[in-house]
Amino acid sequence: MPKIFIDDRAVEAAQGQTVLRAAESAGIPIPHFCYHPAFAPEGSCRMCLIEIEGIPKLELACSTVVREGLKVQTKSPKVVEARKGVLEFLLAEHPLDCPICDKAGECKLQDYFEEYGLFRSQFKESKEKREKKFKLGRNLILDRERCILCTRCVRFLNEITKTEDAGILNRGIHSEVGIFESEFIASNYSGNLAQICPVGAITDSDFRFRTRVWFLESRESVCPLCSRGCNIIIDSHPGFPRLPRGRRVYRIRARWNPDVNSHWICDHGRYGYAYLDEGRQDRLVWKKGSRDTGLSWDKAAGILSGKIQGLMLRGKSQRIGVILNPNLTNEELFLADRLFRKGLGIEKIYGAGPAPEKGDDFLLTADRAANSRGLREICPAVRAPEPKDLAELDLLLLFGHHLGAAERSADLLKALEKVEVKALFVSHRSALDDFVDFVIPVPAIAEKSGSLTNIDGRAQPFSAGLAFEGDGLPEWKALLDLAKELNVDHRYFWPLDSPAAVFRVLQEEIPFFK
Amino acid sequence: MSPETSALLRRRIEETAARYPKKGAALLPVLHLVQQETGCISVEEEKFVAQALGLKPMKVREVVTFYTMFLRRPVGKYHLQVCSNLSCILLGAGPLLEYLQKKLGVGVGETTSDGRFTLSVVECLGACEQAPCVMVNFDYYGQLDREKIDRILEGLE
Amino acid sequence: MDEKVLTRHFGVEGLFRIEVYRGLGGYKAVEKALKEMSPSAVLEEVKKASLRGRGGAGFPAGMKWGFVPQNVPKPRYLCVNADEGEPGTFKDRYIMSHNPHLLLEGTIIASYAVGIRSAFIYIRGEYEAVALRLEAAIAEAYKAGYLGDKILGTDFGLDVVVHRGAGAYICGEETALLESLEGKRGHPRLKPPFPASVGLFQCPTVINNVETLSNVPSIVQEGADAFIKKGLPKDGGTRVFGVSGMVKRPGIYELPLGTKLRTIIFDHAGGMKDGKELKAVIPGGMSAPILTADEIDLAMDFDSLAGAGSMLGSAAVIVIDKETSTLDVLKAVAKFYSHESCGQCTPCRIGTSWIHKIVKRLAGGEGEPDDIDTIIRLAGNIKGKTLCPLGDAAALPILSICRKFRSELEGYIPHA
Repeated sequence: MPKIFIDDRAVEAAQGQTVLRAAESAGIPIPHFCYHPAFAPEGSCRMCLIEIEGIPKLELACSTVVREGLKVQTKSPKVVEARKGVLEFLLAEHPLDCPICDKAGECKLQDYFEEYGLFRSQFKESKEKREKKFKLGRNLILDRERCILCTRCVRFLNEITKTEDAGILNRGIHSEVGIFESEFIASNYSGNLAQICPVGAITDSDFRFRTRVWFLESRESVCPLCSRGCNIIIDSHPGFPRLPRGRRVYRIRARWNPDVNSHWICDHGRYGYAYLDEGRQDRLVWKKGSRDTGLSWDKAAGILSGKIQGLMLRGKSQRIGVILNPNLTNEELFLADRLFRKGLGIEKIYGAGPAPEKGDDFLLTADRAANSRGLREICPAVRAPEPKDLAELDLLLLFGHHLGAAERSADLLKALEKVEVKALFVSHRSALDDFVDFVIPVPAIAEKSGSLTNIDGRAQPFSAGLAFEGDGLPEWKALLDLAKELNVDHRYFWPLDSPAAVFRVLQEEIPFFK
Repeated sequence: MSPETSALLRRRIEETAARYPKKGAALLPVLHLVQQETGCISVEEEKFVAQALGLKPMKVREVVTFYTMFLRRPVGKYHLQVCSNLSCILLGAGPLLEYLQKKLGVGVGETTSDGRFTLSVVECLGACEQAPCVMVNFDYYGQLDREKIDRILEGLE
Repeated sequence: MDEKVLTRHFGVEGLFRIEVYRGLGGYKAVEKALKEMSPSAVLEEVKKASLRGRGGAGFPAGMKWGFVPQNVPKPRYLCVNADEGEPGTFKDRYIMSHNPHLLLEGTIIASYAVGIRSAFIYIRGEYEAVALRLEAAIAEAYKAGYLGDKILGTDFGLDVVVHRGAGAYICGEETALLESLEGKRGHPRLKPPFPASVGLFQCPTVINNVETLSNVPSIVQEGADAFIKKGLPKDGGTRVFGVSGMVKRPGIYELPLGTKLRTIIFDHAGGMKDGKELKAVIPGGMSAPILTADEIDLAMDFDSLAGAGSMLGSAAVIVIDKETSTLDVLKAVAKFYSHESCGQCTPCRIGTSWIHKIVKRLAGGEGEPDDIDTIIRLAGNIKGKTLCPLGDAAALPILSICRKFRSELEGYIPHA
């Protein structure tokens, strides 16, 4: 472990680490544009130049490897002057676009100018005029005047997607990022380019001109659109709650996790957030005949548990069915299993989820549910229901709007008709609403807390990134309330007052999660 | 590109690429020989070369646009490349370039209407002892003055 | 001492043909090296000879060869740098067209010394005629058994390929040359790692200039001591000086290292042309800082010129007369580096262009009082801060011109 000195402070670095990384780990940021932890050092922006004792020339922090006793200055007059120099060069040929540029507020050029620049421009010449709305990909627009040629975009497409779609054309001051003819970037990971661009050169047309980033609230979450469980950030506008009619979510960004998704997310997860604000189920209703009666959860819970108890007393537990889904959290699956199977002795517990689609060989999995692994580990006996399974039921609790295999949906629906009492716990409106008696709104994964188990068996905890609006409640709470109403094993269920508490018990009882 | 040209080029590309441990390394020599045959590297040639060397077309274009000798548009039969670097400027390259423009009736980067001459300006040709110089296609001419320029142009068919 | 090494037989007709070359003692050095010396003995001799690189940087050739690891299970490569893009330089063109076999002989011996079996001659694309002559010489050498497998019946073999560039000065920089040889844009690489360990196709590689390698046969044949005596103790051998500009006899002059600049200009090159007066001299190719007329009493060797704030570089002497405006000189310099910047790193890409824009404005009569200061400041922000030496190659000459000819340049500013 080489010991180095940064700004006269002793820092323990790791063997083979660069000065930039060692400084970062010690909480000393060194400004940079072209460097990105996912790629080998590029060394072209020259912003990370630092002074090393004993070396007359300034050296790059991003590519200089630490050695024992190295003495680095990140704020010496020479370094300050060098940084100003780089900023001055970049800004000389950079358009004054801040007022119309989406990157404002999260732009490295802005941030560094504020911190290390603050000089008046001495550039009297004509700036190079370049294309400002070059279509790079489905959702990507390149502004060549803003581009600082850090080549992060080119390197991403060379090293991560390995599609080599983009490159640098021409030479010298005429250098520009380009693609070949109209071979637009079509990768499922194109959205990452707008995220890694340090300035507003590559912008996302999905986000373009919609808002200023400083109006947004950023919350951590986990993407539920496949079983990878990529870590994300949800950027929502607190001024625009979803109800009565608004769109809160403006953007999804990738969040770094070295064990799951590195620095990336796929476009499917990045752009597929409309569901959070659209088509939501907001009213808790009891459908009696042709009328929908609004109901409180307490009332609904009371009615349901009454009906369940009625069947239990008449020895008809085999006439009660539960369909779980692989988007329920580990905690919810665990509670469902302990309440229905263990607590009430219900055997007819099934699971149904979204049909698999095409995955890619990077992050996106064919399995488009967030917690299939959790379902498998917590409820191992569960399978998809057949029409004949449903036909034998008097009461069915449905979690999610999947009934079973999509091909059998007509038969499944027909079988459903024969079930006397049907309660649907669901986050979105669907055709199934008309086939059930109780519709109970539940939050999307982004709106609750708990944990999900990804395809590699990694249990990832998450907390709410958005507020849950409307009637209804998270499934874990509903299950605990039902347990209370049904008087099942007080001593076991009563102390479980949060997903974290549930997970602790889950860990003790199921070896896989230890 | 005619099938004969395509076949001929493919053979020569194979031979050239065989001299390098990696096919892609032959890109510059291959672009030279394609350009000799077709006159310039347009989109068609970029795709052809990319396919022949197993490269992405973008990688070919990156190279074509970096090096000044690779032409993306056709030039006249005689490409007059006038040196504009220091030794040539010292010995009168500036006025000689103006003379050429007037004589041919074209500006820098343009081609005469009969398609014979394209006039370009280049950097040091490495013949400074003969300044001022012009490279016509691949032939060097030095110690230029107006008379010599006239003689050279007359001598070109 | 007036003993020539490289241009000794330049007057002989047909020198570029192998039978003529051999008739004059050519390829004897190869025979001596391969049959009588071990590779390390050859390397030691070259080290002893103080042969410094003749491309521009002046790095000791033997030392560079010694950096190549011999125990790495990868092929080793030799790249002959025949890009000759430094303005004012044309010496390698002469060596390769008149005496291509001398270069080949040096290439073979160098490869033998370092255990290299594959050499590429990276020649600038404009030198097509020279490339054809080289290829003809190579074909002759193969036929005569000096190239290919089992050279002269030994286990040593070498293949040489001529690789043409396509018009990019930056490809004369060794790592940009490697990128270009690999079929890519000529973007210089970060150093470390150095080409000796990670070079062509990530393998250990030696890159040497044409003139440097062409000196190797003499070192082997006549010994390091004789070579040193032709020059200076720490700077062995001769240099092929290229003189151009406003002189009576522009051309190449092979002279001992240490020859005085004044002698080169006024004796060998015949002095000023057309009765003009000397104003300034660029002593080592455009990248070398300019010298005024009263700074030319210098010895032309690496250390003396470095001490005078300039450099020997490619030993290309450009002579500027008093009737030439320094602004025109500055314009040519600024235009060149802006045009040749590869564009990778911020200071060079934007700095050279910005400086060029200011100079153009100055030349167009629209200069402003602070322009020279701005140019100096920008050049200072390029100097020492770029990814490759082209930044310094641009900044240092521009700084020297602005400092030494400031009042003349300010004379072009309307309100100064």
